Amino acid sequence: MIHVQALSKTYETPAGSFSALRNIDLEIAPGEFVAIVGKSGSGKSTLLNMVGGIDRPSSGSLRVGGRSIQELTHSELASWRGRTVGFVFQFFQLLPTLTVAENVMLPMDFCGMRPGSQRRRHALALLDRVGVADQADKLPSALSGGQQQRVAIARALANDPPVIPADEPTGNLDSETSIAIFQLFGELSTEGKTLLVVTHDREAAAAVSRTVTIVDGCVA
Amino acid sequence: MCGVIAPRWRKVFRDIADTPLRTALAVTAMAAGAFGVTMILTSYSVLKRELKTTYSDTRPASAILVLDGGVSDALVDSVRHMPGVRDAESRPVIGGRLFIGKGQWVPLILYVVRDFGDIRLDRFTSDTGAWPPGDGEVLIECSSLSVARAAVGDRVIVRTSDRVERPLRIAGTVHAAGLAPGWMEHAVAGFVKVNPQMTQMNTDKHLPLSASSADQLRLLVAGDTLDEKHIRDVANRVARSIGHVTRIDVPTPGRHPHAAQMDTFLYLLGAFGALTFALSAVLVATMIHALLTEQLRQVGVMKTIGASTRQIASLYLGQVAILAAAAIAIGVPLGIAAGQAYARFAASMLNATITRAMPALWIVVSEVVAGIAIPLLVALGPVAHAARISIHEAFSNDIGGKPFGTRRFDRWLARIHWLPRPLMLSLRTTFHRRGRLILTVATLAAGGAAFIAAMNVSAAWTRTLDADGRARRFDVQAVFSRPYPAAQVMQALASVPDVAHAECWTEAGAMVGESSVSLVGPDLNSKLLALPLIAGRWLRPDDDAVAVINQSVSSLDPTLRLGGDIPIQVNAHVARLRIVGIVKELAPHATVYMPPRTILRVTGKPPGLARSVRIVTRQLDVAGHVAASKAIEQALESAGISVAGIQSLSDSRQSFSDHLVIIKSALIFAALLVVLVGGLGLTSTLTLNVFERTREIGILSAIGATPGTIARDVVFEGMVMAVLSWCAALIVSIPITFALDAATGQMFIRSALDFYMSPLAAAVWLLLVLILAALSSFYPARRSARLAVREAIAYE
Repeated sequence: MIHVQALSKTYETPAGSFSALRNIDLEIAPGEFVAIVGKSGSGKSTLLNMVGGIDRPSSGSLRVGGRSIQELTHSELASWRGRTVGFVFQFFQLLPTLTVAENVMLPMDFCGMRPGSQRRRHALALLDRVGVADQADKLPSALSGGQQQRVAIARALANDPPVIPADEPTGNLDSETSIAIFQLFGELSTEGKTLLVVTHDREAAAAVSRTVTIVDGCVA
Repeated sequence: MCGVIAPRWRKVFRDIADTPLRTALAVTAMAAGAFGVTMILTSYSVLKRELKTTYSDTRPASAILVLDGGVSDALVDSVRHMPGVRDAESRPVIGGRLFIGKGQWVPLILYVVRDFGDIRLDRFTSDTGAWPPGDGEVLIECSSLSVARAAVGDRVIVRTSDRVERPLRIAGTVHAAGLAPGWMEHAVAGFVKVNPQMTQMNTDKHLPLSASSADQLRLLVAGDTLDEKHIRDVANRVARSIGHVTRIDVPTPGRHPHAAQMDTFLYLLGAFGALTFALSAVLVATMIHALLTEQLRQVGVMKTIGASTRQIASLYLGQVAILAAAAIAIGVPLGIAAGQAYARFAASMLNATITRAMPALWIVVSEVVAGIAIPLLVALGPVAHAARISIHEAFSNDIGGKPFGTRRFDRWLARIHWLPRPLMLSLRTTFHRRGRLILTVATLAAGGAAFIAAMNVSAAWTRTLDADGRARRFDVQAVFSRPYPAAQVMQALASVPDVAHAECWTEAGAMVGESSVSLVGPDLNSKLLALPLIAGRWLRPDDDAVAVINQSVSSLDPTLRLGGDIPIQVNAHVARLRIVGIVKELAPHATVYMPPRTILRVTGKPPGLARSVRIVTRQLDVAGHVAASKAIEQALESAGISVAGIQSLSDSRQSFSDHLVIIKSALIFAALLVVLVGGLGLTSTLTLNVFERTREIGILSAIGATPGTIARDVVFEGMVMAVLSWCAALIVSIPITFALDAATGQMFIRSALDFYMSPLAAAVWLLLVLILAALSSFYPARRSARLAVREAIAYE
């Protein structure tokens, strides 16, 4: 599903060039549930961003779902991201002025997925799946952190993407909620979704099928 | 409705609705810009159209033939049938003075109308009271009623040049849009009906119409009424045909007597319209920048979930269009109403009336279209930039800006350690957010530059007026009905204790080419006139057959240059005089200064005659000058010298000053408008700047900063921007002031005004910008500082 070959990423900073990733090689099969672990600043979020099409590599090759990311134009990448990747953030990043259901409908809207009349029904089904259907018409600010993260996961699933990258999705949640979120990820993996989760949570990391450790921008 | 509108558009509406304060600020700033531009465009278009219509509706005469002797109805009728003549009317003019009490007289021009039921040319309309006037009655032009210090129904005393005083009853007022406003000219214009006795013999009862008056035959030519050459051809042909024509006046076709003021005024309106337009465009750019900066994280989220660049761009352009539409809905109607009110005010200044105050439809339409299109165009760049930004950059919350420390200036700022740390933070934040800084400073500087330029030009006019006053070092001037021996004048004045010094001058009228000019022959040892020289030199005691011309004469013909000759035509005789100097004076009237003996020679008068006298009195104040004028007039009249007019210099300065009212009003109007638009823009911009910093303020609170400290630092940041903008405004105002000084001076007095930067203007704007900066930073800063730290950090 994900083929990473000799991937490097360098950032220019006032202090000079900084290599966030160096020569990464990684293969992830469809349906795998992979934890990416490492110390703060090791490059794990950078790797996740590359896989999710949020950032572009400086060199090397990256293929996700058969598409070579670096060959996509800006607009092709946006469309590809909407259909192929469902990103989950640590701070949920729901749009504050849209209701929960509208937040979930938004990716369908952007990518033109499903007829307009069916989008709300699909959003409600996804919210039901993650256990927050009763919150559908509330604004994100009225929800707890755990509920917001469930909404964010529902949003990530809106266009039924095969790949779900999650950047410390439980970093802002209590341990009970964290376990529930990882259970949900486990179910998604069982259904064939490929999950890449950057996490510091050791217990949660135990739920994954594979762990990739990044040290100083390299796979350990 | 929710089912119909896509979630992304719902986001746009909610973003607008859920942040009412920010929306209100953005809409207010844009509406202020729309208001300013609409107001100026409306007043400009309405005035331009109405002034032209009002004037052309009077059917202005193409030419005025001054005749030596009366004009019979039969002659007028025959002229009407001459080829090239569309219409003709005889309207004799009687010059005189009107008594306004306390021994004071004001100049009076009486137009004698043959038939009030058939006014064909230079029309006027009834304003109040009777129409037509009866015997012994006069209708006063409404703009000069205040000069007459009388009301309808009052009896006034008029003195004509036959020195007989007669009472006239003011039967009503009329509006003569073709005349310059009386209050500005400091003269009264009246209309009386013709009386059979007028043309027969002078009696104390009836107004004289012989030697003291001039019969005028007014012509309207057939064909092109704007072609001056054609008009002159027809007028010359008519003059040859009827004989005894002493002078032909051809007013500039299609131009109101105060067209120069109108042009200057409309130019100023146009110039400040353009400046306000630029200001509003920068304001819109600032608003959009602020809007996009705070939405960056959301842009990142939307891109992450699949939004394309085009979709993001359309969302924000849509938002800008909605805000712009709201701004137009508020700003344009208010701007039209204010523009109409201002047009009415300005028209009254120019003795015109506004009959149709609606601006042309195309102006309203283009204002609406521009009101939407300009914000969209201005937004296009920043929106495209934000829409193209990488998700990584969006989440790092920096719109493509380089990190602090990357630029040399940042590193220089980082070396400043002597400031308190929170102030250092404010200073570095100010300069780090380069885009925001540039836009904010540009907005404030555009407003400041326009304000300072308006004040500078106003001050330049005042200084020009003052300089002209300083150049004329006499207190009173009296003009006689005809030339008198200078010795007789000096002897008469010797008995007046108030007279400290007197100089007899020679004056006459002449033609240069086809333009009439005044010939003025001051005493060649005169200490009373020191006009500033543009080129050459002033007259010397031993001079003869030379001339010093003013800038109005030099603008008549490009060949009238220093060292060249000027052909002075008096009656049929032409004298060529060498131009030895060019002076600048405030009066736009064309004047040639010559040695008195030269004037007397070219006018065929014997030596030793004077037509006027300039007097320095022993009095120091205006009231003293007025009292001295009375004594001087009495002494002259007692000595048998007929005084056609006597005026204190303070009065003539007031008249000059009144001619500038309309120009100064345009400048004050522009300055106030800029303060309004710029002030609102400044407040909105700085308030939004503080909103942008809410997250940072939360962090400062978290590490122990008190709301007071935070408010102080944010106010400091506002002040830094204010001072920077002030410096920029000063620099930008220089070329604007220069251009406006040159253009308005050239239009009105035919010479550029002396460039002047008013320290008061700079100081007022600095004070204004600092106060506004303090106020518009303090309250939002205190609000942000009082937010719970968690709320502030989570602030979107």
